[in-house]
Amino acid sequence: MNRPLQILTVLCLSMAALTYAAVERGVALKADSIKSQPFQDAGAVGDLKKGDSVQIVSKKGGWLQIKAPSGSGWVRMLSVKRGTGGGSSAAGELGGVAAMSTGRAGTGQITSATGVRGLSEEDLKAAKFDAAELARAEANAVSAQAAVAFASAGKLAPQKVAALPEPRPATTNEAPRAGRQ
Amino acid sequence: MNKYLPRALLALATASLMGALYAGDLEDQIRKALDPALKRLEKGNESAPADQGKQPSQPADRSQPAQPDSGAQSSPELPAFGNISVEDERKIGSQIAGNLLGAAPLVADAKLQKYVNKVGRWVAQQSTRPDLKWTFGVIEASDINAFAAPGGYVFITRGLYAMLKDEAELAGVLGHEIGHVQEKHHLKVLQKQQQLDVGSKLLGKQVAGNDKNIQRVIGSGAEIMARGLDKSAEFEADRIGVVLAARAGYDPWGLPGVLQEMASIAKSSSSVALLFKTHPAPEERLTNLGEAMGDRLDAIKNGRTLAERFKQIKLAKSSGK
Repeated sequence: MNRPLQILTVLCLSMAALTYAAVERGVALKADSIKSQPFQDAGAVGDLKKGDSVQIVSKKGGWLQIKAPSGSGWVRMLSVKRGTGGGSSAAGELGGVAAMSTGRAGTGQITSATGVRGLSEEDLKAAKFDAAELARAEANAVSAQAAVAFASAGKLAPQKVAALPEPRPATTNEAPRAGRQ
Repeated sequence: MNKYLPRALLALATASLMGALYAGDLEDQIRKALDPALKRLEKGNESAPADQGKQPSQPADRSQPAQPDSGAQSSPELPAFGNISVEDERKIGSQIAGNLLGAAPLVADAKLQKYVNKVGRWVAQQSTRPDLKWTFGVIEASDINAFAAPGGYVFITRGLYAMLKDEAELAGVLGHEIGHVQEKHHLKVLQKQQQLDVGSKLLGKQVAGNDKNIQRVIGSGAEIMARGLDKSAEFEADRIGVVLAARAGYDPWGLPGVLQEMASIAKSSSSVALLFKTHPAPEERLTNLGEAMGDRLDAIKNGRTLAERFKQIKLAKSSGK
């Protein structure tokens, strides 16, 4: 009786250790209240200030468990961006090194480590219609019925979710982005 | 040589001034034409904020089930966008898609492509345009990006696919692109540029491929994919992506997770050069999406991530094409 329980405990602990081993850092995108639990009504244990450097401990739904200068607790996932201010996470460094080593970032002429090229603006402008490839792509399309069966196999149940309103103050009416004609 | 320069400059300045005035005027007209219809749409698709959690409104696809897709926006108040038939939209889209595939072919992996089509189609079924011939694909490009073309074409690069952790993230990314198609963002850009004259029977009975008329509409190759949309269109697609994934039964935090990941990539990385040129910075998208989501999706507790099913589909190494 005890032995399986022990094994389970060890297993859980090592899994937890694995999760905690990779310390991830983040930066607060905005001020937010740090909660004791990952839900809106939970008590506040501290205040997150915009630009605060935080340690990300774990993730649960739309919440991140963090250690911040003013306390440890839970904040909404979208209040924090992962990585440090300059974007120097492992993934970022990898990309940066690749860009530096070729010295031709963004030209689309780069061959990455996997042997696949990037896709640049020039590539897109010069692109020539490929009828055979388009036919292949269209042949991969699936019917609505097949999609329903696939959803059901994954126990995906349709939910009623209202459209999200545009946040106010509105971000519309901005000038078109550079490069548009 | 030099004596012509002032005259040339003057001509150039006049031309650009006129262009700017004209563009502004057109934009105004479009906005005026769209405003009442948009308000009506909002009214129809959203319940009052007060009871949003308890009584979510019907997803739009169920609230107007009998309406054919082409009729969805053919209100008399929408002269600018109302007249493009689904067939013409599809022709434009397939020309763009065919060009894009000319630059970056599909990843040669039938199992992967089928899987992405199933996820994508299921998410698209939750949109206001479930009846399009939705076509999804993973393309051979190492950088991180995804593309949508009118009529229901959605492509995601190998680089972006490799970054994803589970099916909910894939659903969120595809949902963002489906949002562009649903809202006809690229068609609107073409119309603003007056390359697409809706009144004329420009497209006629031509099919995509070697059609100079369609190619004239979309510009050179697939450059429309490199030009980018307004920021507001990207923010809107983010909101739609989250909602469609949630309606499909997924964890709504898939797309925000991918944006988090993008935010952690160095801005100077070549892998995000085109993505960051054509989209607002991930930090800005996260902030905007955070404002929009607030606590609105807190009620969804059992959204699925399906990490296991996602991991069973291995992304094969490039064939070196």
